[in-house]
Amino acid sequence: MRQSSSAEDACLCDAAGILKIRHAIHKEIRSFFDRLDFVEVETPIRVPCPCIDPYIDALSAEQGYYLATSPELQMKRLLGSGLEKIYQITHAFRAEEEGHMHSAEFTMLEWYRTGTDYLGIMEETEALLRALYATDAVPSVEWEFPLQRLSVSDLYTDHAGWDPCSNWDEDRYFRDWVDGIEPALQNMPAVFVMDFPAPLASLSRLKTDNPKVCERFELFMSGIEIGNAFSELLDYDEHVKRFATVHEKRRAMKKVCYPDDKKFLAAIAQGLPRCGGIAVGVDRLIMALLHIDHIDNVQSFPLSRL
Amino acid sequence: MLDTTAIRKNLKIEIDGDPWIVVDFQFVKPGKGQAFTRTRLKNMITGNVLDKTYKSGEKIGQAANIDEREMAFLYSQGTMYTFMDNENYEQIEITSEQVGDATNFLVENMNVEVLFFHDRPIGIELPNFVELDIAETEPAVKGDTVSGATKPATLSTGYVLNVPLFISSDDKLVVDTRTGEYVERVKK
Repeated sequence: MRQSSSAEDACLCDAAGILKIRHAIHKEIRSFFDRLDFVEVETPIRVPCPCIDPYIDALSAEQGYYLATSPELQMKRLLGSGLEKIYQITHAFRAEEEGHMHSAEFTMLEWYRTGTDYLGIMEETEALLRALYATDAVPSVEWEFPLQRLSVSDLYTDHAGWDPCSNWDEDRYFRDWVDGIEPALQNMPAVFVMDFPAPLASLSRLKTDNPKVCERFELFMSGIEIGNAFSELLDYDEHVKRFATVHEKRRAMKKVCYPDDKKFLAAIAQGLPRCGGIAVGVDRLIMALLHIDHIDNVQSFPLSRL
Repeated sequence: MLDTTAIRKNLKIEIDGDPWIVVDFQFVKPGKGQAFTRTRLKNMITGNVLDKTYKSGEKIGQAANIDEREMAFLYSQGTMYTFMDNENYEQIEITSEQVGDATNFLVENMNVEVLFFHDRPIGIELPNFVELDIAETEPAVKGDTVSGATKPATLSTGYVLNVPLFISSDDKLVVDTRTGEYVERVKK
């Protein structure tokens, strides 16, 4: 046990260095969006409907509220209220997610823009990465822009020998993801994985010319899932249908079903402008930028030090 | 039956009649998708390593029925290592293969935990920190306690590790048996 105190001291002193880098990164993120005339917004962390996803579980905040798993629904409502470019850096919470890439509480950067789709968001994401690599806080980039773009269809065909977009099999998809796709992504420094199978559309739009695929992309850096983006779904009936599918799946897994966010649905019914958006895990982004392999080492107080 | 929530380092589980130990594990979950636990398991008898991915909530096996008894290492002859129970003086033998890397840090009269699977000795666990003599190293460089420079030193067990320059061949060292690294000099 003689080592533990000095090891903890070392962690705390690394933490001071990391916090200074975090500060510089946050500052650059804000300045990036400021240069693009985005409005920084704040939405509540305590919400009535924490998520619409079969596999994301929220932490209860009592009295019928939950801790937000992402600010998605409220931010989209703001787009409906006349704001055109918004971003937010906030804390998000997810139950039962602990590991070297997961922390129940983490920092999320989320931004939305009207008049664009996932490809526009992809370009903006790339521009943000360029801006971050240009700061002194981050070691210089060891690979070349622009980022590679890989479709889920091609990834699975190359690394798992089948195409989930034409023949959907959910259990096989996720098992192959963990055993084959994610390990393959670990060898790629930075890549956009795009055009997911329609059953994984979440709240993204399906492609008009190929409804088996949705307009969704994820940014991966050395296998770390950094961000998830959509051409946002606008159709009201499709929302209702997808909410129902999520409830059905959660009931089948005997999981809590969160209430539908009626005010969000009302905003969709009223009509949102065409838009795209992305959620970026800031802790993981910092991990990838600095080559740090445990999320605890980029947070000021991970659960283990609270 | 244990499920994935029980997985942690050094968990010992029985799979198909063999005891396996979790040497490493990773929680893996796509942002929008099913959760898994990736594990690296080591067979405690054969030493074989197996990577296995479990879906969250999946059953992984029974807890392996492993007993630990504190015993002193007496001597080795050829490939056999003899240990003695300090309470009832019972002696057991295990092979150098089963002792594994622990031979790097094992000296006579050291107390270790001997692991028994269904009453059969299958291996040992060393204390995290052990004190060992140096057999050979270059003469000490006095006063150099800050440069961080190191030199190799051979322990009485034959194991070679890096030590700071101020260490001399008549020093005793504290070694971390999990990493095989130098921790500090034992004060005389």
